[in-house]
Amino acid sequence: MSNNAMVRKASSFEIVNHWALAVSFFVLAVSGYAFLFHLEGVGSVFGGFNQMRAVHNWAGVVFAVSLFLTIFHYLPVSLHFTSDDAAWFGKAGGYFSKRAAVPPQDELNAGQKLYYLVVLAAGVVISASGIVIWLRPWAKSGILLSHLLHNISFDLMVIAIPAHIYLATLANPGTFRIMVYGTVPLSWAKKRHAKWVQRMGF
Amino acid sequence: MTNHWVDVKNADVILVMGSNPAENHPISMKWVMRARERGAKLIVVDPRFTRTAAKADLYAPMRSGTDIAFLGGMIKYILDNNLYFKQYVVDYTNSSFLVNPEFKGPGQLNGLFSGYDPKTRKYDKKTWSFQMEENGIPKKDPSLRNPSCVFQLLKKHYSRYTLDKVSSITGTPKEKLEEVYKLYASTGKPDKAGTELYAMGWTQHTIGTQNIRAMCIVQLLLGNIGIAGGGINALRGESNVQGSTDHGLLFNILPGYNPVPSASIVDLKTYIDKFTPKTKDPKSVNWWGNRPKYITSYLKAIYGKAATKDNDFGYAWLPKLDEGMNGSWLVLFDQMFKGKFEGFFAWGQNPACSGANANKTRKALAKLKWMVNINLFDNETASFWKGPDMKPAEIQTEVFFLPAASSVEKEGSITNSSRLAQWRYKAIEPVGQSMPDSEIMNELYFRVKKLYQKQGGKFPAPVVNLTWDYGEKGPDGKIKHVDISLVAREINGYYLEDIIDKKATPPKQLGKKGVLCTNFVTLQADGTTSCGNWIFSGSYTQKDGKVINMMARRGKDDPTGLGFFSGWAWAWPVNRRIIYNRASVDPQGRPWDPKRAVIKWNAAKEDPNTKKPGVWEGDVPDGPAPPLAMEGGKYPFIMMATGMGAIFGPGLADGPFPEHYEALECPLEENLMSKQRINPTIKLFYDKASGVPEDIYFSCDVRFPYVATTYRVSEHWQTGVLTRHQPWQLEMQPQMFVEMSEELAKEKGIRDGDKVTVSSGRGKLWAVAIVTDRFKPFKVAGSTVHQVGMPWCFGWQYPEDGSGGESANLLTPTIGDANTMIPESKAFMVNVEKA
Amino acid sequence: MTTTNRKALLISPELCIGCRGCQTACKAWNQLPGTKTVNRGTVENPPDLTPQLYNRIRYVEMPSETSVRWLFVNQRCMHCGDAGCMKICPAPGALYRTKEGAVAFDKDKCIGCKLCVEGCPFDVPRYDEKGKIAKCHLCFDRIAYGLLPACAKTCPTGAIRYGERDALVEMAKKAGYQKVYGEMDLEGLGAIYAFRDAPKIYGYAEKPGIPESVVFWHKVLKPLSYIGLGGVVAASLIHYVAFGPKKDEEVKKDE
Repeated sequence: MSNNAMVRKASSFEIVNHWALAVSFFVLAVSGYAFLFHLEGVGSVFGGFNQMRAVHNWAGVVFAVSLFLTIFHYLPVSLHFTSDDAAWFGKAGGYFSKRAAVPPQDELNAGQKLYYLVVLAAGVVISASGIVIWLRPWAKSGILLSHLLHNISFDLMVIAIPAHIYLATLANPGTFRIMVYGTVPLSWAKKRHAKWVQRMGF
Repeated sequence: MTNHWVDVKNADVILVMGSNPAENHPISMKWVMRARERGAKLIVVDPRFTRTAAKADLYAPMRSGTDIAFLGGMIKYILDNNLYFKQYVVDYTNSSFLVNPEFKGPGQLNGLFSGYDPKTRKYDKKTWSFQMEENGIPKKDPSLRNPSCVFQLLKKHYSRYTLDKVSSITGTPKEKLEEVYKLYASTGKPDKAGTELYAMGWTQHTIGTQNIRAMCIVQLLLGNIGIAGGGINALRGESNVQGSTDHGLLFNILPGYNPVPSASIVDLKTYIDKFTPKTKDPKSVNWWGNRPKYITSYLKAIYGKAATKDNDFGYAWLPKLDEGMNGSWLVLFDQMFKGKFEGFFAWGQNPACSGANANKTRKALAKLKWMVNINLFDNETASFWKGPDMKPAEIQTEVFFLPAASSVEKEGSITNSSRLAQWRYKAIEPVGQSMPDSEIMNELYFRVKKLYQKQGGKFPAPVVNLTWDYGEKGPDGKIKHVDISLVAREINGYYLEDIIDKKATPPKQLGKKGVLCTNFVTLQADGTTSCGNWIFSGSYTQKDGKVINMMARRGKDDPTGLGFFSGWAWAWPVNRRIIYNRASVDPQGRPWDPKRAVIKWNAAKEDPNTKKPGVWEGDVPDGPAPPLAMEGGKYPFIMMATGMGAIFGPGLADGPFPEHYEALECPLEENLMSKQRINPTIKLFYDKASGVPEDIYFSCDVRFPYVATTYRVSEHWQTGVLTRHQPWQLEMQPQMFVEMSEELAKEKGIRDGDKVTVSSGRGKLWAVAIVTDRFKPFKVAGSTVHQVGMPWCFGWQYPEDGSGGESANLLTPTIGDANTMIPESKAFMVNVEKA
Repeated sequence: MTTTNRKALLISPELCIGCRGCQTACKAWNQLPGTKTVNRGTVENPPDLTPQLYNRIRYVEMPSETSVRWLFVNQRCMHCGDAGCMKICPAPGALYRTKEGAVAFDKDKCIGCKLCVEGCPFDVPRYDEKGKIAKCHLCFDRIAYGLLPACAKTCPTGAIRYGERDALVEMAKKAGYQKVYGEMDLEGLGAIYAFRDAPKIYGYAEKPGIPESVVFWHKVLKPLSYIGLGGVVAASLIHYVAFGPKKDEEVKKDE
């Protein structure tokens, strides 16, 4: 296969689901900041805080469902740690050197696995705590704890996700197209996921 | 009240006994709290630890109905420890008077005073008299040592009220009694003031009047009458109860506390002779000596031009009582129960819940042909025929309901406990077809008068001759709308002729024809003045041609700081804020307590009227006469023929000194004080031979072993007709309850919040148990006596789902006080069982 | 809280007679309906604050050396200087501080999240059938016009007094209360209490405080949310400049 040939990295379903996650997260994060810091300008974009609350809650549902749908593919992969992961960590993914060689990786490198696990954990916690705050299933107990967890998760996510965006765009040109076409040039894949390319027989 | 609401703040010790101001007169507590902030002490004596008790410095529990024993012990304590105000007692009370040597007390006669006739259950009061000097003035011993003098008799009478005996009767621990006695008696010093606040907790007993008499004696011994922060103060339970008794609400008094004549008093002269007290003591003002002026002016007010000297000013038209007839509440409903009435106006009342023995009352209503109910709302009385246990098909009573306007929908005056008549204005128009009471009366009067005019009838004169000049007449002769201010003017009175004081030199004009009277001092007995109610004369007057409604005044000045606010509205009599205030100064006119001077004699200033030196300053004095020790000086108690405060009070039916008797229903076989268990002079409605089961009572009976009392709650107004429809009030106090001690609840297996059944010989009801430490069992005569308490603000009709419960009056007995016939609803016997 | 001339309520259980005029007056002014209750074996009713009940009297019965004590304690919003409800509230203007220092609310702006219920150290805010906050607002619509709050206006004994906060603190101290509850706590409460005994007897915590998690959230998590975000963005930029992107071509060279 030519290095310029395209290999499929994500299914159409994954593309759609990822956008659902991305958009809902964006809405949630923006409205979340508006709640935290009383950003009335943001509120008015939503037509007021009352509407924004509804949007936030339902966007949360979209986010939670989408997040749930990711686990079938990504969770087993992300939980499968190998010696490659240690090696990857040893070189810090090659991000802090212009020359450092990163050992060949399978479908996801250690950073990506870790990222997924963090986002999944934070996503589960933020969704569950969000539902508790929203619906108050146990009347009085647990709300404050949920509030705390919701915000801890939020903080984690607003750190992790922008990093993810950077790494998937500017830091790795050509990556972003996965989210558009689902495919990447073979050269891109070989560089980043050599073992995967090999295993898949591209 | 001898004093007034604001004056409570001037007290050093406030005794709350027989009342519960925090719950039933919340605003009054403002002044109690003011006093406490000054360092005053609050004593509460009550069977139950009330919201008032929660604010008390000293609380003493006491079994219901034993107030006289409690106060008798206090009198003994004061006398034994020489804590009385000697000069006051000698100079201003009848303590020095010598009593008929034949007089004997309960100590000698086993609980009876001399002169008792068991057949009539009445006293011949012949021996309850004073020994007289040749000149007709009572014999006195100012040293108070004569064994026949009132003081010595008092000492002897209450010597039986030892701490042990009193504690055993009342159930109050001895040390509590002593604490209360000591603290209250501390006000016997000239510069100390003690006040007493009572209400239905004292009056609603078979010994109700004597409860108050006992306190009067305490107050006179301590020199607490007439002074600021003193007095004996009845807290009226409705905003205008004072006004209604002032204006002749009761069956036995005409407006201004003139007695209603009985049929045997055939003419005005006989009336005047009988009811005008006389004195030969020049120092006694004997104000009731003016009775002829007041009754004549009253007749002129109500019968107008038709009342002439020749027809005895219409005296014959006045309604009369049959000899010995009693028209009090209990008797009225007893007669109704016996089918003696055709019709009944239930005007602004709810007897089906408010009256004692309400089951009997409800049955009595069913005996009527018709009933007119005039009220703001439908209530248990108007709808009695569809109430519990009623068979509507068998009840023939035709009920008419006339909707009345509420107090904010009409103009007029109300008179509060302070004797303060305050003018109020209409805030909003009456709702729907409702009308002010005066308009309803106007409609009724016009129709009844027309019928009499057309058809004649047995006795038309009292109706057709009635004055009714309360506004502009329509073509049919009816007053179109009642101008209530014209009623107020009629009450104040008019000069019908020019009134000339011929005794003065030169003769002086007292009043000009057609002008409103200045005050009652100028009223005449010859028909030249009219006055609807002498004590209100001066309330709506005329000065320099200008008509002044004194009751509408809103002056806020209080120059003395004692809270008279003499420019605010108008208090009877003659805007006097503290009555008997001549007793607040010594015989020289110097205030006993210069810091709280109600009045004081200023000898340096000239009287603008008489041009003689010396004037009273401060409150309006009880008469302009100079101080007692001076020439022309007068005794302070001007309403008494002797001019003296009555420690010995021969006027009452049941004895000149209060004596402890048990309630009709009580937990004791025997009165620990004497062989006479109950008040010997009360009218008994029930006896085995001829009584009806509705009147039955059970004393010392295992079926009804617990003492009960009734009360009101802050959250509801009387029977709740005005408040049970008000969700805010109902939310706070939704259901009938019975309060009881932890000990009783344990004995009966009742827990807090349980539904229980409370029953008496007359009825039963359910209630929610409030099990509380605020009720404690009493140790009475060596054994344990439990007491419970219930409110009477609930009724079957509303709330409509029946969740409210019933009035405690289903349980109370048909028995009344010996003097007033007020029902004994504060002490009776019940049983309590878990429902 | 920085409001000058702060107003407050001085509540003196010693003066309270438990008449509950305050409960009714509050309902009258705020047009709150009565609710269906039952007698639970006590005078106290309703049993707790509700969205239709902004203040109420708690009746505390306890034994004393001589007989029994019965305390009447007005329960209501304390109008904290440092208000937990305001702190946690995500909706601007839903809870706000009036110029008198009251913590008032605007139901239109309230988003019904109910977090204020959790943020309150005194368990005061309630929410109505629409999920909107309901609590005492110090009659912001009366005091703004110089009127007394309805409860203070109706109180016959001065158990609820409204006025300048400093003056009320001084008044209580003059009346012999060495410690005025809420004088300093939570940057000073707007409802201060003249307690004769330990606050817990009256049902109040000795040292009231906003829940620790809310404080942690406010002090740490909230700033972290923008510091973190900003940090990541900044770090990405620096990284981009310092190391640049990973280029596929380099793969060849490396190999």
